[in-house]
Amino acid sequence: MDRNRHTTDESGFDFMANSGQEEQDRDTLGIAFAVLIIAVLTVFQYWKLY
Amino acid sequence: MSTANTATFTDYDRTRTSFFSALYRFQRVLPGLLAMLMISIFSNNLAGAPNPFTLENLFHWLDGVIGPVNHQPVFGILNSNFVWNPLLLGLIIGNAFGVPDTWKPGLSYIHMLMPLGIIMLAPHFMLWHATKLGVVPIAIIVASLFFTATATLLIAKWFKLDDRHGSIIAGGLSTGDPHVCAILMPLIKAKGGQVVNALVCVLVFGLVAMMALPYLGAWLDIPQSCFGLASVVGVGNGHQALSAAFARGYEAGRYALWYDIGRHVIMPAGFIYVFIVMFIRKLRYRNDPSVKATGHLNSFPLWLGVFIFFWILTTLHVFKEPAHHAIFNMVKWDFSLAASALGLSLSFKDIARPGLKGLAVTFVAGSLRIAVLLAALVVCIKTGLLPVAP
Repeated sequence: MDRNRHTTDESGFDFMANSGQEEQDRDTLGIAFAVLIIAVLTVFQYWKLY
Repeated sequence: MSTANTATFTDYDRTRTSFFSALYRFQRVLPGLLAMLMISIFSNNLAGAPNPFTLENLFHWLDGVIGPVNHQPVFGILNSNFVWNPLLLGLIIGNAFGVPDTWKPGLSYIHMLMPLGIIMLAPHFMLWHATKLGVVPIAIIVASLFFTATATLLIAKWFKLDDRHGSIIAGGLSTGDPHVCAILMPLIKAKGGQVVNALVCVLVFGLVAMMALPYLGAWLDIPQSCFGLASVVGVGNGHQALSAAFARGYEAGRYALWYDIGRHVIMPAGFIYVFIVMFIRKLRYRNDPSVKATGHLNSFPLWLGVFIFFWILTTLHVFKEPAHHAIFNMVKWDFSLAASALGLSLSFKDIARPGLKGLAVTFVAGSLRIAVLLAALVVCIKTGLLPVAP
């Protein structure tokens, strides 16, 4: 099967593929960063820092 | 690329040390991140990046040259926004020059940016804002959302459309918000080409509905105050709905602005509903090869639960101004970066591959919605359930 030149490099790494442990880790990072950003921006306002 | 680095990306489980391993090494992801950054800051006016040479500003300038259509910017009607501008630029760059292999590890950050951006959207949907609209308009907006989503999923099934494509159309059409096409992508596990194809379907239907609805409203003699509600619920994106309403009359346009709050704040219910329906279907018909929506997901995604938690906090007024705006600026950054990667991942063939079947589904479902909506509005007006402004 021909590789998709837009998404897959010569080694077979497809940046649009997302499954297994790698997907779980990406989701975890997304959640962690989201909680961090929302918490910081909200708490800073409550502390009248902006 | 060296053999050692190849192993890093093709055998993730073996080399993983913690969830931070999904960030890869900084040197490897830097080219891709820079590509996303450049596309983003030349697409949108983003907080902290004072670049005047953006696609957004070019479209604003062209809007000024062309002039408004029924008080709405032409490129707004065509859905120019912080998601689709970078996607368009990424699509053009990827198809004109290709995507270098060195960019690809960095572009994989799209899978982290999608849940991150969707969770940060939660403070944007203040349900309380809709209560001022009154019970009957809210009931019509909510009923229309669930009816349209359900009808579109069923019609897509009858047309034997790929269920991932049908789900994306159902989300975009029912919520009247093409952003939902992108939001549903990681939940439905849809292909990028299906997402953009579905967006085009919703937009094209919206353009036709935008032009037809004012005539239908006049033919049925729907008062302008009620027509504002009809256009918000029955057309496509926000600018298309407002253009349809202003085409009927100035009062209709003003009422559309008023009713649009109701459509906007319940938008998450639309994509959550489509996801849950398709997820349950997948669990029930696990061995059916035609059931592809939600892919390999076996449990409710934790990040969607986090989104719902923050949505509840939003209804409790935890996020006040200007924190809400500050968070939304981060959403713009996030979705701009993610959409850049999505645009780079697609060829024009990927977008054309799903064909015109999606367009047929969208037109059948959208027309059915308009018919049922107008019938419901006429009944509500005749019975006095829906107040008519003097």
